[in-house]
Amino acid sequence: MLKNVLAAAAFAALLPATALAQSEDFTAYEKPLYEAATAEGEVIWYTSQFTTEMSESACQLFMKRYEGIKCSPVRATGGVTFQRVMQEVQAGAVQGDVFSTNDQSDLLELKKLNALEKFLPQSVEFMSPVLKPMNDDEGYFFVSSVSPYGIAYNTNLVKEEDAPKSWSDLTDPKWKDQVAISHPSFSGSAGLWTLAMKNLFGWEYFEKLNEGNPQIGRSTADGYNLVVSGERKIAVTAIALSRQGEAEGQPVTTVVPSEGLMLPPSGTGVLAGAPHPNAAKLFAEFMLSEEYSVWLRDLKRYPLRAGVDTAEGIEPLDTSKVITVPVTDAVQGLPEVQDKFRDIFGI
Amino acid sequence: MTSLSSSPSHTGIEAVASQSHVSWLRRFQPSSLLWIVLAVILVLLIIAPVGALVTKSFTDPATGGFTIQNYIDAYGKARHVEALINTLYMGAAVVVLSVLFGVPLAWACTRTDMPFRNIIRVGIFGAFVMPPYLGGVGWILLAGPNSGWINVVWQAITGSTEPLVNVFSFPGLVLVMAINTYFTVFILVSAAFEMINSEMEDAANMLGAGPFTTAMKVTLPLVLPSILGSALLTFLISIALYGVPALISIPARFPVVVIQLTEFFSYPLRVEVAAAYSIPLLLITAGLMALQRKLLARRGFAAVSGKGGERRIVKLGKWRWVVFVYSMFVVLLSVVLPLLVLLMAAFSRSWVGGISLDNLTLQNFRYVLFEHSSSQQALITSLTTGAAAATIAILLALAIAYIVQRRLLPMSGALGFLAMSPFVIPGIVLAIGFYAVYALPPVGLYGTYLILILAFTTRFLPIAYTTGTAGMRAIHPEMEEAVRILGGGRLTAISKVVGPLLKRTLASGWLLIFVPAAQELSTAVFLVGPNTRVVSVVLLDMSEEGLLERLSALGSVLLLIIVGVMAIGVRFLGRDFMLRRT
Repeated sequence: MLKNVLAAAAFAALLPATALAQSEDFTAYEKPLYEAATAEGEVIWYTSQFTTEMSESACQLFMKRYEGIKCSPVRATGGVTFQRVMQEVQAGAVQGDVFSTNDQSDLLELKKLNALEKFLPQSVEFMSPVLKPMNDDEGYFFVSSVSPYGIAYNTNLVKEEDAPKSWSDLTDPKWKDQVAISHPSFSGSAGLWTLAMKNLFGWEYFEKLNEGNPQIGRSTADGYNLVVSGERKIAVTAIALSRQGEAEGQPVTTVVPSEGLMLPPSGTGVLAGAPHPNAAKLFAEFMLSEEYSVWLRDLKRYPLRAGVDTAEGIEPLDTSKVITVPVTDAVQGLPEVQDKFRDIFGI
Repeated sequence: MTSLSSSPSHTGIEAVASQSHVSWLRRFQPSSLLWIVLAVILVLLIIAPVGALVTKSFTDPATGGFTIQNYIDAYGKARHVEALINTLYMGAAVVVLSVLFGVPLAWACTRTDMPFRNIIRVGIFGAFVMPPYLGGVGWILLAGPNSGWINVVWQAITGSTEPLVNVFSFPGLVLVMAINTYFTVFILVSAAFEMINSEMEDAANMLGAGPFTTAMKVTLPLVLPSILGSALLTFLISIALYGVPALISIPARFPVVVIQLTEFFSYPLRVEVAAAYSIPLLLITAGLMALQRKLLARRGFAAVSGKGGERRIVKLGKWRWVVFVYSMFVVLLSVVLPLLVLLMAAFSRSWVGGISLDNLTLQNFRYVLFEHSSSQQALITSLTTGAAAATIAILLALAIAYIVQRRLLPMSGALGFLAMSPFVIPGIVLAIGFYAVYALPPVGLYGTYLILILAFTTRFLPIAYTTGTAGMRAIHPEMEEAVRILGGGRLTAISKVVGPLLKRTLASGWLLIFVPAAQELSTAVFLVGPNTRVVSVVLLDMSEEGLLERLSALGSVLLLIIVGVMAIGVRFLGRDFMLRRT
């Protein structure tokens, strides 16, 4: 990283002593952005890419580094978050600054409506080579997290040898009333998962799954919590949750299905007409910082920067078997998938 | 009044001072000016959103021209029609259960010597304070099919592997709704029971009828109009609830209108289709309301009168314990059990962890009060918007009630009708109307506190108006006439006589609105912005992730604050402030 010592010193003189230590490692690009952002004072982050707790903790990290800027996460499922942003865009009263989702097709729609600022953080150059190509090629949004879908099960209720090994195992009649999935009209990543499973197995898969009467939640995190509480034995969920939960001693573990993890890369864009444009850009920049990647790694998630390795025991993405859904397919396929899902599951 | 009679000199000075005042008033007719102002406010709050809803439903979003395509999109799918039918079916079931809960309890509490009536009353009161979505969460903890408390206990006792109860089912949905809505039945039917005199019951007793025969053949028919009226009201409330279906009907696979409406509000955002989809609901509720008016207007029984006639409580003998057990059962289902598990979850690391020291924690409260960035703000927003809406609604309602009761102007009845009309507008539909008129440009109030306050004011105006009218009826015009005779103007009469006499009405009406407004979800769901999130919306977002322990903690804090406000109210107004009204 480039350090402009002189400017840093001049800048530090303007700041209270507490901010001094941090301001020293600001880059030349970061510094004016930080100053402008401080004047704005706040960044509002609409997000569905993390749980509430993780969103809060990401904001804490941001506020520690960039003192004087309040970071307010507004966390809901992808569907609900997108609905709120769309309402604001339609009302011509954009109130959020940054928008993060697991369903990049939402970002494409916003781009089409000119609701996104053309902006990529400078640090995209440091991104992992697996993830970099998934950024928007016109520079409107970038990959801000990777939370692959896998299977989580309750270790108190299911023995390892009995646990499902593949996506198709979930339709086994022995799991009747024991599986939890999430609704593609609420959860963005569930939409992509539904599309991916349809591509792999056809709609037959969901008809069989329906015979096992899965519990349908709104958020991916709901399935995980159902498994932790023992309300359900197995959930289709973001494995980052079950890996983190296992590390914290919860009775839960993760299965990487033999067909591969379903990979919905989360995307982030700065909203056009954001009330705090500079803070928004600074926050986007922060999401690709080394600090943020280390934080992700410590939570058993996949880091975004090339220089940061995955946590111990977690296979890096470039060697993992993954199923992806191209974002253009998602744009076309999702409405139909949501509709068909509603027909099959009756909700 | 004491000031009027005991200090004539003072009044005299005032009368002289207001001489010029009076002539000014006579020329300008302030009451007609007030009428215009009130009418404009009501038009803005009620007619504009509903009008926008109707207009939007026939508007082509692309061209702005007339179309019926929105109705085709809204009802062209079997699934969408099914959701409407499901909703009506659910509403009917909720009504049946609410009546089964509410009517016997109302009778037992007002007309019998059932033991511990006050405890039961306090319990039922809890059903009013507890927002429906928290009751729903409580019941998920109680009756989740695999790890709900009831099922765990049942399986431990019987060794069964099958769950005893499942909240994620149609009966579960109906129960969770009814434990909230039976309160309405209880209040309205209690009021009717309290107005019956006992002579007819005595006659039946003398002719050999036991207490139950008397209740069924004499008392019940007398309160039937109130039962029917409250049943219709319950129907309207239940089909419009958003929180409970969001929690329960999705896992129960029971699609209902409010969930379908959110689908139209997701991508692609189709306000027009959502509007079209809500019109039949509006027509149904309006039709039912008209029916209710007719039913209540028929209440011509001479036995039901405001005054006179002796009212004695029925001696139940050994049956008093049976009645008590049933009443306690209802209170357990509706308040005690859900509240208990909610509090336990709030203090637990994991709600399935059972009762042990290891599982006990204050972390959930620390999280929601200090770590979660928006819940502190949301608590403040909920309380302030609730308080603001309650204040505006009660003042507005009293002004209208005054004009209507005193028949100050020829068209005053229209104001009263308008003030009552939001009753027929389901909260979520009102929100869509408000969004269409006030959120979008050129008004552009999206994400402001103002739009929330206005929407809440509108939503609870009927409660305010009912309270206001009742309070106003109790003040005889002759007291104001005395002021007028002594030379005071109408404004003097209002500020020196009517105002002070209405203090109690003001306060109890305010509380009756504040409690639901501070918890309101259905109206808020499409109107909140990132900075104006209310607690109910934060709780809803938490419920998506299944964060039941934290949700319970935040819900408990909200409940605690509201109970605190209520307690202050009870202290100043007396315990019965809300049980002795219609």
